[in-house]
Amino acid sequence: MYAVRFHGRGGQGAKTASRILGTAAFLSGYQAQDSPIYGAERRGAPVAAFTRFGREPIRERGVIAHPDLVVVADASLLEDPAARVSDGITDQTTLFVNSPLQAEQIRAQSRLRGRITTLDVTEIALQHFGQREAISALLGAVAARLAGLQQESLRQAIARELGDLGVAPPIIERNQTVALTCYGSVQVMERESVTEPATIATTFHIPVYESPSRGTARISATGNSVLRETGGWRTFRPVLVADKCNGCWLCFVYCPDGVIAMNKDDRPVIDYAHCKGCQICVHECPTHALVAEREQEGGVTWTAR
Amino acid sequence: MDSQMMTGNLAAAWGARLADVDYIPAFPITPQTEIVEALAKWCAGGELAARFVTMDSEHSMMTAAGAAEATGARVFTATSSQGLLYAFEVLYSISGWRAPLVLVNVSRALAAPITLESDHNDVLAARDSGFLQIHAETCQEVLDSILMAYRIAEDERVMLPVIVNLDGFSLSFTREPVRIPDPEQVRTFLPPFHPAHLGFRASVPHSLGVAVIGGTPYAYFRHQMHLASINALEVHREVAASFEQLFGRRYDVVEGYRLDDAEDVLVMTNSCAGTGKAAVDAARGEGKRVGLLRLRMIRPWPADAIRGALRGRRAVAVLDQNLAPGQGGILFQEIAASLYHEATRPRALCSFIGGLGGQNLSVGELRAIFEQTAKAGVSGKGIGPVLLYTQAEHREMTQLQMVAAGSVKRET
Repeated sequence: MYAVRFHGRGGQGAKTASRILGTAAFLSGYQAQDSPIYGAERRGAPVAAFTRFGREPIRERGVIAHPDLVVVADASLLEDPAARVSDGITDQTTLFVNSPLQAEQIRAQSRLRGRITTLDVTEIALQHFGQREAISALLGAVAARLAGLQQESLRQAIARELGDLGVAPPIIERNQTVALTCYGSVQVMERESVTEPATIATTFHIPVYESPSRGTARISATGNSVLRETGGWRTFRPVLVADKCNGCWLCFVYCPDGVIAMNKDDRPVIDYAHCKGCQICVHECPTHALVAEREQEGGVTWTAR
Repeated sequence: MDSQMMTGNLAAAWGARLADVDYIPAFPITPQTEIVEALAKWCAGGELAARFVTMDSEHSMMTAAGAAEATGARVFTATSSQGLLYAFEVLYSISGWRAPLVLVNVSRALAAPITLESDHNDVLAARDSGFLQIHAETCQEVLDSILMAYRIAEDERVMLPVIVNLDGFSLSFTREPVRIPDPEQVRTFLPPFHPAHLGFRASVPHSLGVAVIGGTPYAYFRHQMHLASINALEVHREVAASFEQLFGRRYDVVEGYRLDDAEDVLVMTNSCAGTGKAAVDAARGEGKRVGLLRLRMIRPWPADAIRGALRGRRAVAVLDQNLAPGQGGILFQEIAASLYHEATRPRALCSFIGGLGGQNLSVGELRAIFEQTAKAGVSGKGIGPVLLYTQAEHREMTQLQMVAAGSVKRET
């Protein structure tokens, strides 16, 4: 069995990518299975999806603890412990990261094991589609290539999965074309079978009774959401063009996360540690004083609009 | 104070009144309505300093009850049957909040078809909700159990809500002498409610029952509820001793009746256990060594007490006033599971289903149970589930079917 784990952020298409891979494997004559896992369905929040395929019937379900291939749709997830990208990665695991950086740079920054390969899929998506979200087909293509599936099954799988999502046929065709470009561009790693570590029986911890102040799902601490930094959820950050701002406070009002404060000159101050990059402020700003700039390792390199 | 004649419903209302509750959300349903009517009257007349609010449904009623309890108020409410099921999802929230209110359920069989009289499929549906359950046999026990329920529920080792169950009609509308405890003594028994983990101050907000989105914290908190519920067995023992000292009446998690030298034991719950005891007396009069075990606390399940009462018997019969379609009697399953590991478990377990929808239970039927159970004990082969359904009942049923089919014409 070949096991692929996708990590992405809500809205990036990790789930659809896992389905494209699952369908491509199915169309190639394999036994296949795919499934997502996510909490509250929020754009930008970490999500994971899993695809398994093989010649034998697949009995296990759920989380893949020992992946052959890990596909990371957003490099910021490498730094987010909640995303658990590194779980079960060994020297034999293939790790694909959507990033403009070279594999060696990723290895140095993340200190991850595994055989790393990269491709700037987001840049390809921006060039061809003008938007950052549409990378499910491209990720599926990368995964299909690394998993050793054929182009034709991939092409059909993209048509089926994007068709199910109601994507118009001309857009599906463009996705197929660009996906095949990614399929051809990604550096292929030789497939190496991952040996699962020997399992030992778990030692259980039996919890004792605790007083209801501790033993009830109850939060009494105030202001603790500041501890959970969500700046890594951004693919784009809102940036102020100061001379265009008319001080109307609309960005402050519309921000769903309360991360925009106003200074004494009526100018917005954005808390980038917590801004999730939803772009609502950019959309609402009547004077275009807020613009979206792409987050990039090592600095901002691309500006929308 | 001497006793006075009152219904089980009025006894339940007196329990809430003596517990000095703060808040009573209410919605009427037969055969419970008399409880909230009595409380409404007392709240209006000033005998009870509680806020009484009529709600638009049992779902809203239980939501209001749990929310009020979460602010630190002592809350009472009551329902029955369809009403309990309409409020069902809220029960799980309230126990998850560890909000220790007391809910009286007046048992009534579930539709369809509709009937108003008692069986226990309503209250037993809630057996996995996290609420503790105390099932009463007499009107006096209804009142006393409500006082004990608040004391157990509000104990830091428990902090879980309680359902006190009484049978519709045979307790709810049946009058018998009930002693009303002295309010001063009740205040000694049941101190004011000051929970550490609940309460409302606008300046110190906290969230209760938050989303955890993940199995690890969820499993931890569910397991804490289990441990809290198990703790209630020990707390019940202490509370029963304290109650007996103050009021002279003793209630344990199970009640054994003429068990000492009994070969065969009948297990029952709720008000019909009285009929069972009468049948035991009759059988004893004929020299038969039979006894009765009444389960009073259903949650937590008093496994040790049950094993202690039933190990070494020749045969045990469980009379379930409920029916899990496709399975049988609910309590029979739990009794059987409790006895499995006993080296000296009874030679035969017998399952009887009776009293569904208020169906009458006669002493003759109980005598038949004893005879069949004794036979099973001798042969070592359990029986059931056996529906208690007499030939006379079958004749009545056949007649009704003919009427329903239009086969009986009115004479002209």
